[in-house]
Amino acid sequence: MEYIITILTFTGITLIGVLGSYMVTGLTGLFSFGQAAFFSVGAYTAAVLVKDFATPFPLAVVAAMSAGLVAGMIVGYPTVRLRRDYISLVTFGFGEAIIALLNNSTNLTGGAMGLSGIPRYTSFWVVWLSVAVCLTIVAGYKYSKYGRQCLALRSDELAAKAMGINVNRVKLVTFLFAAAMTSYAGVLYAFYTTYVEPGSFGWIVSAEWIIIVFVGGINSLTGSVFATFLLTGLPEMLRFASEWRIAIYCVIVLLIINFRPVGIFGEFELSYKWLRQLGKKGAKAA
Amino acid sequence: MSIQQLLNGVSLGSVYALIAVGFALVFNILKFSNFAHGGVMTLTAYIGLAASLFFSRWLSGLPLFGATLVSAALAGAIVGIVLERMAFRRIRNNNSPVIYYFISSITMGILMENIVTIFASSTFYSYPKFFELSVVELFHVNIALTDLLMLVFSSTALMILLWVLYRTKIGLAIRALSFDVNTANLMGMDSNRVVMATFIAAGILGGVAGVFLGINYTLYPQLGQLIVKGFIASVIGGLGSITGAMIGAVLLGVLEVTLISAVGAGIAPVFVFIIMLTFLLVRPRGIAGVIVQEKA
Amino acid sequence: MKFNNKHLVLAMVALFVVSLALVGCGGGSGGGGGAAKPAEMLVIGSIQDMSGTTSVFGNAVTRGAEVAIEKLNAKGGINGKKIKLVTLDTKGDPKEAINAYNRLVDQEKAIAVLGPPISNIGLAIAPIANSKKVPVVGSFIDPRVTVGQDGKPQTAMFLMQPSSVQYAEIMAGYAVEKLGLKKIAIFYNQSNAYSVSLIKPFKEYAESLGAKIVIEEKYTKDDKDYKTQLAKIKESGADVLYAPNYTQELVILFKQRKQAGVNIPIVDGLDLAAPFAQNINDPEAADNAFFANNFSEKEPQLVEVRNAYKAKYNNEEPINKAYLGYDKIMLIAEAAKKMNSTKPEDLIKGLEQIKDMQGATGVITLSPKTHQPVGLSMVIFKMEKGKYIEVGRYVPEKHKKL
Repeated sequence: MEYIITILTFTGITLIGVLGSYMVTGLTGLFSFGQAAFFSVGAYTAAVLVKDFATPFPLAVVAAMSAGLVAGMIVGYPTVRLRRDYISLVTFGFGEAIIALLNNSTNLTGGAMGLSGIPRYTSFWVVWLSVAVCLTIVAGYKYSKYGRQCLALRSDELAAKAMGINVNRVKLVTFLFAAAMTSYAGVLYAFYTTYVEPGSFGWIVSAEWIIIVFVGGINSLTGSVFATFLLTGLPEMLRFASEWRIAIYCVIVLLIINFRPVGIFGEFELSYKWLRQLGKKGAKAA
Repeated sequence: MSIQQLLNGVSLGSVYALIAVGFALVFNILKFSNFAHGGVMTLTAYIGLAASLFFSRWLSGLPLFGATLVSAALAGAIVGIVLERMAFRRIRNNNSPVIYYFISSITMGILMENIVTIFASSTFYSYPKFFELSVVELFHVNIALTDLLMLVFSSTALMILLWVLYRTKIGLAIRALSFDVNTANLMGMDSNRVVMATFIAAGILGGVAGVFLGINYTLYPQLGQLIVKGFIASVIGGLGSITGAMIGAVLLGVLEVTLISAVGAGIAPVFVFIIMLTFLLVRPRGIAGVIVQEKA
Repeated sequence: MKFNNKHLVLAMVALFVVSLALVGCGGGSGGGGGAAKPAEMLVIGSIQDMSGTTSVFGNAVTRGAEVAIEKLNAKGGINGKKIKLVTLDTKGDPKEAINAYNRLVDQEKAIAVLGPPISNIGLAIAPIANSKKVPVVGSFIDPRVTVGQDGKPQTAMFLMQPSSVQYAEIMAGYAVEKLGLKKIAIFYNQSNAYSVSLIKPFKEYAESLGAKIVIEEKYTKDDKDYKTQLAKIKESGADVLYAPNYTQELVILFKQRKQAGVNIPIVDGLDLAAPFAQNINDPEAADNAFFANNFSEKEPQLVEVRNAYKAKYNNEEPINKAYLGYDKIMLIAEAAKKMNSTKPEDLIKGLEQIKDMQGATGVITLSPKTHQPVGLSMVIFKMEKGKYIEVGRYVPEKHKKL
């Protein structure tokens, strides 16, 4: 059973990262190549604090999220002012810079050899409790004033400005929100695997999260959640295909993007109302 | 900075330029970062290897190099066609936002890399020896012959591209399309054909780049990941300007070499990031913003 | 766009449930063949990078292991039972490796697992392996994989080639003691754990022998042009260059060394072993280098493996990681024979008792205190004009005292 539990735990951690991407890319339309870098900021900050400075775990979590916020501020403040095309470049450069920093500060982070022997404080339940909390926050955010402003500026920035929305501020707030959340996911990861290395937080990971958001449907939070299950589970299910599994995975993603461009879920959101209607219909059919 | 360093930078830049030109061409027309171009380079580099092994029965030296280059370029053209049909045609017909092209292209890139991994990753490969790894010495500075060739090839490719874009009918069509797809369609242009032509051209450039990267850096399935350098160069150089991408590539090469000698390679990405950020804040149009405007 | 959400959603959810069930009951369906498994077949797992940046290593280890399994099965398998190799891909990612290890143990009921030649993966799976007590035999050269922070061996982790410390000392010793070169330049990939792990012990041992590190230059994984660093190394006046990196980066280094006109010898690890010189394709660039390999290619036991490998895989020349894969299987088989059992816990005990086993790569004795091999010497080769010249086995002074 541990096999399934481990996969589900990793899925939960990835899901929190994807939620960050959903906010930045899905909701606001900023194309961030550096989300995984926030993940590593969180993971390393907490791991180093606990391991080398014997900081209590909860305090380390707070510190890691603050570090994520600071990093988010450094990247976010200038980038939200830039043209959209450049945001991907700057966030990409940020990701590479973080990896370079991690590789360089060998005394603190172990460099490329990674940081091992992190205590295992995270478990399946901690992760999924965190997922529930994050999901509630993101869902709330989507329907809040800010979330709607995000959607407005995603569709038409000029029009949004004309409506009196402080575009840069909304972008920055969303970006910071996502940064803090992703750092938290990083903490969960570090204290679950007990080992972190800079190599596993490259831009490809950020790209994978964005792919998940789009496969699920850019307008649907439910879609992101579901696609996370599907796309992190898929490589595991495809294990029988041996070396072909990543290729098959890519083909499936391509098929979805090509034949269902709105994503699997389109604009659909799972809600109580929908479930009730479904129940009624089912009763009728029976 | 010594002249030798500057030259090293330029020669590194010419490698990046060769990557960036093909990348920028698609960027120019469809306005998205075509990360699949990395996959094209890897795939064609390996096809070029197969071709070189096949032709080596009859040819050697420069003729063999020519045959390899042509085969890789042809393969690139075919890969370009397949790529366009499989990954982008439908998205374009759906009028999907640009970001879908990106998703499609990055997935295609990973797919191509993996196909190469499946078929060719049980050992290391390298091209046969085409020419001496000699060094040309000019005024006490050394230039590697392959670097020189790459500079020549990327500038030639750029010249041909510019000629096609600004002096031929298809070039006119491509430019019209890059300006406004809908209007171009209304004017009776077959946008599918024009886009296809663009991908064929990009594929050929990818094939040439693949062979050169293979000669210089040996063959491995992740060869195409060098595309990120083309990406940086294209964006710094000015969105969608091919000349700008070329200048951006050379500047990136010089910048990297300078940083490596000044602060060391390990920490260089941090400085690249800071410089990039400052540059974009000061000059959000990219380098070519002005160059393009001056031309128009 | 109009579509029927509900049906689609329901279909997707159904698909998802079915696939989850598949994952759950998918025992025995892993691995390449997918052929029905006879009831009495033993499974040896293998976690390798088959699709990531180090897939060449992963493939080679797998193929070498398959050769060993074929040989064992021809003789009746381990303790009368035939064996089967189930290889799972890690993409070089610790997370995937943890999943793969769990799957091999929980679903496939593997009796032992072959590790990849990548220490990062070893560090990531060590805690789980220790708690599950299914041994992992790998070539994780980072000593932290086999010896924990408390100085005790990691219960289930075994190394079957010299550790990075032993290895670096052999190379440092050879450069300083044998070649008498005392001004050392170091050039390595800072984002590669393998390179980094070979730097510190090298420096310490070289400096203890009175040599001086005159310059230390680095690069990162995306750098492909080393001429700037080479120019600095040239200026530094070093008389030897130590560059422990992966093969394909070394090919570039050797070519550019020639272009940059740096004429000092290079001292290096087994990444320079054949077919490295052919990959450079230029006898003048593939010149003036010394390296330590685990084995000599002339040794009869190795020739046998090599011939079997070439017969099985289309006449392809095996790279050295293939022999490591072969020996990993042989070690597990030897441990099973010693304990006359194929239970994972017994295999751990058996592996600790391995003594003087003649493997393809040398005579292996595993220390129960460190789970690392003891007294493994290495064979020094010289590369000259594209040709390999065997210099002979070499043991540094420090190792002789042990």
